[in-house]
Amino acid sequence: MGTRGPAPVLQYPVNVMNDADTIQPLNGRPPYEPGDAGAFFAHVGSGGKVEADDWMPDEYRAAVLKFVEMHANSELMGVLPERDWIMRAPNLRRKLALTSKIQDEVGHAQLLYRVAEDLGKPRAAMLQDLLDGKTKFHNVFHYPTRSWADVGIIAWLVDAAAIVSQQALRDSSYAPYARTMKKICWEESVHIMHGRDVVLTLMNGTPTQRAMVQEALDRWWGPLMQMHGPPTDPAKDKDLHWGIKAKNNEQLRQEFLSIYVPRIRELGLRIPDPELRYDEAEGRWHYTEPDWAELKAVVTGHGPASESRLEFRRLNFADTQWVRDALLGGASAAA
Amino acid sequence: MTEQRPAGERVWEVFRQEDEGDPMVHSGNVNAPDEELAMHYAREFYGRRGESHRLWIVARDAITELDDPDLLKPPLDRSHKKPGGYVIKHKLEAAKQRAVAEAGEHDG
Amino acid sequence: MTAEVTLDAPARAAEAELLMSVADDEFVIGFWDSEWTGIAPMLEEDVATSSIAQDELGHAKALYELLAELTDDDADRIAFGRDADAFRHAALLNHARVDWAFSVARRWLYETADAVRLAALSSSSHEPLALLAGKMRREETYHRLHADTWFRRLSDGAPEGRERLATAFECLWADAQEIFAPLEREETLVGAKILSQPMRELHATWSSQVRPMLEPLAEGLTPAEPSPDGRRRRTDDFRWLHGEFTMVARSEEDATW
Repeated sequence: MGTRGPAPVLQYPVNVMNDADTIQPLNGRPPYEPGDAGAFFAHVGSGGKVEADDWMPDEYRAAVLKFVEMHANSELMGVLPERDWIMRAPNLRRKLALTSKIQDEVGHAQLLYRVAEDLGKPRAAMLQDLLDGKTKFHNVFHYPTRSWADVGIIAWLVDAAAIVSQQALRDSSYAPYARTMKKICWEESVHIMHGRDVVLTLMNGTPTQRAMVQEALDRWWGPLMQMHGPPTDPAKDKDLHWGIKAKNNEQLRQEFLSIYVPRIRELGLRIPDPELRYDEAEGRWHYTEPDWAELKAVVTGHGPASESRLEFRRLNFADTQWVRDALLGGASAAA
Repeated sequence: MTEQRPAGERVWEVFRQEDEGDPMVHSGNVNAPDEELAMHYAREFYGRRGESHRLWIVARDAITELDDPDLLKPPLDRSHKKPGGYVIKHKLEAAKQRAVAEAGEHDG
Repeated sequence: MTAEVTLDAPARAAEAELLMSVADDEFVIGFWDSEWTGIAPMLEEDVATSSIAQDELGHAKALYELLAELTDDDADRIAFGRDADAFRHAALLNHARVDWAFSVARRWLYETADAVRLAALSSSSHEPLALLAGKMRREETYHRLHADTWFRRLSDGAPEGRERLATAFECLWADAQEIFAPLEREETLVGAKILSQPMRELHATWSSQVRPMLEPLAEGLTPAEPSPDGRRRRTDDFRWLHGEFTMVARSEEDATW
C-alpha cells in the first residue's frame, strides 16, 4: 500500500501544547469583597445569587427582609378568609382538601418566616409587628367572605394571581428565598386545582350555585385587579433592580389576565369590567383603571375586614401564649 | 429586636432522601425546642405528602460550615484534578493518524 | 371482596352499628381538631395538628364508605345528611376544643382508647374491617407519639400548663369512658367475632393502662364505667358544630358540592 505516500508530519495544534492554558483557572472568589456595595449590586444585577451567611449591604438585607416578611404575613393572614369555611365544608373530600390547603398556607408562612428570620429579625418580633399593624399583608386578605363560592374563587383565582408572581420569585437573587419559592409553587399548583374543581362543580350545579359563583367573582374582581399593585417605573424599582423579584407589577397583571380571562369566560362567567379587552396590535390587555386609592387604604389596615382579622389573630395569639412560654421559655436576652 | 427570640427555640436543618438510594438533599429548616419535636415537625414539613424516604434532622448549631474560597476554590490551576483538565481530542486524532501512517509504512 | 357476601343480615346490622360509632368518633374529633388549623400555638405545631385532624377525617371517610357499602348508602349522605341526634360518637367528643390543654387531654384520652379498640378491630373476622383497622393503626402510631409528647410536656412542665391539663382531664374523664359504651347488638358482634372482645373488656384494658399515668397528675380521677347512653347524649357544643358542618351541605336541595 505504498500509494499512500509519506507519513504526515505530526504537529500538535499550538493551543493544546499546554492543556492548562486552555482551561479557565478555577476561581471561587465571589465577584465582590465584603463591604464593596458597588460590586455586590453589580453581582445581583447580573443574575448573581446571595446566601444568608454572605456579606450583603444593609439596604439589600432590609429590602429582602421587608419583601419576605410581607409575603410571610400574607400567607398567615391569608389563612383566615378560607378558615371561615373550614367547619362548613360540605362533604368529606372538600373537608379534607380545604383543611389541607389551609394547612399548606400555614406551612408557607413558616417557611417564609424562617427565611426572614435568618436575615436577622426573630419570628416573634415579626408576629408582634403584624399584630400591632406595623407591617403589611396582601390586599385580598383584608376582605370578608360571604359564601362557599368564595372558597372556590380564592383557591382558584387569588392563588393563581399569587402564583404568577411567585413563579417569578423562583429566580430571586436571594437564594434561600428562591429555593423556598420552588417548594411553595409546587404546593400551590394543588390549591389551584382544588379551587378550579370547586368552581367547576358549582358551575355544573343548580342555577343558585352558578349565581353564587358569579356573585363571588363580581366581589373579588376589583381586589384581584389591584393585587399586583399599580404600574411602577421599572427604572426606580429597586427590588427589580437587585433581582429580589424578576417581573414588574404590570407584567404580572398582564400575565394573569392572559391565562385566566379565557378560563373564566369559558365557564359562562361574566367578568365585571366592560373595558376589559385584549389589544392584538399592542399585545396587551386594556382594563378599567383599578381603584388604587382603595388598594392603598386597604393595605394600610383600612379594609372591610382588616381590623376584625387582626383582632382575631391577637386574641388567639394571647390565648396560646402560655403554651409557647411553657414550651420555649421566656424571651432570651442573649439570643 | 433580637431579645424577642424565645430562649428554648432552636433551628433544625432538614435533609431529605426522596427515594431509596438517592442522595440526602438539604430541604429547609424548622424551629423546635428539642430533637423530639424537631423530628415531628420535620416529618410534617418534608414528608406529609409521602414525598420522602428518609429524613436527617440536624441542629443548625451542630453544623460546621466551610465556605472560604481560599480553601475551597484556590485561584491557581487545579485542572490536573479534573477529567475536564485533560484535553485529548487533538492528541487522539494525531495518534490515530500516526498509527495509520505507521501501519502503511510497515505494509510498504 | 364486597362486604355483603360474607355477612348475614343480623351481623350486617350489628357491624353497621359498630362502624357508625367508630366513624362518628373519628369524624367529630377530626372536625374539632381541624379548628386549630391556622391558630395553633406555633406554626410548626399548627401543621402537625392539622395533619392529625386530617388523618382522623380520612379514617372517618374510609369507615363511612365501608358502612355505606354494608347499608347501600352514601358516605357523604351518612356524614352530612343526618340530624344531630342520629350521631353515635362517644360523649367525650361532645365538647368544643376549649384551649390547647383541653385538646391535648382529649386527644390523649382518645388516642389511647382508640389504640385498644383498633387492636381488637384489626383481628375482626370481617376482613374488610380488619384490613382497614390495620391501616388505621399504622397512622395512629404517629398520633400517639404526638399526643404523648404533649402530655409529657404539659404534665412535667410549668405549673400553668400542668394545672390546665389536670383540669381538662377532670372535666373529660367520665365522658372518655363512653368510647367503650356498650353497643345494642354487641352480642351478635362478639358471637360472629366481628369484634374480638366485648366493650367492657376493652374498657378494662384501657383503664388499667391510663389510670396509673393520670393519677400523679389529677388525683380526683376515680375508676369509672361506661354508661348505656354514652353514645346517645348530645350537647349544645355538638349542636353548634352540627349546624356548622351541615350549613352549606343543606343549603341547596339535591346539589353537588
